[in-house]
Amino acid sequence: MQALPSIAFGGFSGSAKGVTARQVAGRTILSVKSWPTGQTTNAQVARRTSMSKISKSWKLLSNDQMREWDRLAEHTSGQSAFGQKAEISGMNLYIRLNVNRAMAGEALLSSAPAGTVAVPNVEYSQIAVTPELVAITGIKHQASPYKLVVKMSAGQSAGISNGWSKTVIITPGIEDDWGEADETTLYLKTIGVEPVPGQKVFVESYWMDTSTGFSGQPVQDSVIVTGEAPHGRRVRVTMDTLDPTEDNNVTAIDVDFSTGAPVAQFNAVCLGHSNVASSEVHLDKELPAEVIGTGICLGRANDPNGKIVAQSYLVWVRNYYGKADMTFAHRGGYYVAKTECFGAGVMY
Amino acid sequence: MAMFNSTGNNFGAGQISFKDYQAENYVVLNSKFTFDPTNADYQACDQLEIYVPDLSIDRSAVGAVFIRFVEDQHWSWGDSIYDGGSILKSWVKDKNTIVIEKQPWFDQNGPLIIYILTLYPQLNQGANTIKGTQQRLTMTTPDNYLRFGYETFMVEFEHWVFIHLFFSGCTYAYRDSLWEVTMEELPADITADVPICGGGNQFHPECDGMAEAHIENKVLSNQRRVMGFWDTGHDPFVYAFLVRDNNE
Repeated sequence: MQALPSIAFGGFSGSAKGVTARQVAGRTILSVKSWPTGQTTNAQVARRTSMSKISKSWKLLSNDQMREWDRLAEHTSGQSAFGQKAEISGMNLYIRLNVNRAMAGEALLSSAPAGTVAVPNVEYSQIAVTPELVAITGIKHQASPYKLVVKMSAGQSAGISNGWSKTVIITPGIEDDWGEADETTLYLKTIGVEPVPGQKVFVESYWMDTSTGFSGQPVQDSVIVTGEAPHGRRVRVTMDTLDPTEDNNVTAIDVDFSTGAPVAQFNAVCLGHSNVASSEVHLDKELPAEVIGTGICLGRANDPNGKIVAQSYLVWVRNYYGKADMTFAHRGGYYVAKTECFGAGVMY
Repeated sequence: MAMFNSTGNNFGAGQISFKDYQAENYVVLNSKFTFDPTNADYQACDQLEIYVPDLSIDRSAVGAVFIRFVEDQHWSWGDSIYDGGSILKSWVKDKNTIVIEKQPWFDQNGPLIIYILTLYPQLNQGANTIKGTQQRLTMTTPDNYLRFGYETFMVEFEHWVFIHLFFSGCTYAYRDSLWEVTMEELPADITADVPICGGGNQFHPECDGMAEAHIENKVLSNQRRVMGFWDTGHDPFVYAFLVRDNNE
């Protein structure tokens, strides 16, 4: 895009041979039609489809709603060019905010937000990119309705200093998971190849206020892909860590040992097994020795007959032959096979 | 003793007092309060929110609190107790808000009592769970009239104690008496009302019974118990994180 002094080209507008001229705030902007390079990703197709639908929906708004958007647009800046604040129309603002909301899975916003929103910048301590792990850690949490948008590039030559134009959206709006955004699966799905050690990956991230669609200033960063993760992973038992070849007696589990406190955090929907008042899960790897032991937690019956009985469960955590298992063993209260265990419990 | 009062709530419960221990990455809160599920504020809210002065943490993982109702039935041959309850999810939403999930289960049995005897942790704190030491509790009554199972223990820390009590039997002559049992190893600086979960509940089999005990100066006392307290397979238990009165 090129901006030219209005003296020379004042009043010139229209398109010819792939060049479009338009008047914006007294300036003439010449745009050369651009063609996408590289293969179109599924996410890009979805975003363009969504943008097309949102654009068409503008015409369905009432006159009052359109006026609201125009009024809001008067107080909102578009992307600035050459130090001049760019203006944005009500329709473009409607599209921009609704595309953001659609990306985060929110419904179309017909009425304009009451005003512009100051969205905080993303703050984090580290980006780790290895062939096995792509994650941003130490994120300063922002509560709902903020969601984190992360864009990343494929691995580039380490000598490239500016590659943010090559970034594509990896996560279209997630909440950080206790300060961590694990992008590994989505990175591989979106980019298609694992990061290669020695290459450089460009990263851009920003918070989006999903209630309005307004987004914060993008924070740009780059990181050299390393062979190993620079930090230890959180010790946690989830459905993904279970050994699928074993009989696991839960429909959901998330036991988290990363509290740094005298408790573990237990979450599991237990099913019981073999007429024994306990449920077992088998992990495909050992757990660190410091979390091996016995814990205790509360459970609440969650069966089809409407039982909501409170119970207590001992939780035995063991390693054996390179693997680990956990047993939720019923103790107090009336035993109900299908029970949801939750909350903090001491370990000893 | 460290305590604070709530600054408000969205379910019409009045002011709520907390005993607390607040560490950098977790808080232990003890509270007992009553609310009326027929009041308009409760009926209008989606979740129960208690507003409090700044906590040391700005959010937590989900913990559990106890909810209890009190119910008597009057028969020609006497009165019977059918108190019951369950547990609800609870978490710290932000520095000034404690949330309790809203469930309609006992709305017809009000007023309802909530017991918060909960440790609210944070996750991804850069270190693993710190293991404690299990200390079995010697539960002493005259002639051992009240007996407890193997998993009756505490894990003691400087500012709070976790207890799990597992009731196993009672001499018949004492079944309706005031129980007073000394927990020999429990620190003396703990005072709290705690629910005893369990015991069969003929009128509310979906939730079982729930009684209340008082702990003070190492003695657990209880008089009012659900009629089916000793029903087989409904083993009564106590599960509580208790703040010690040595905190300032």
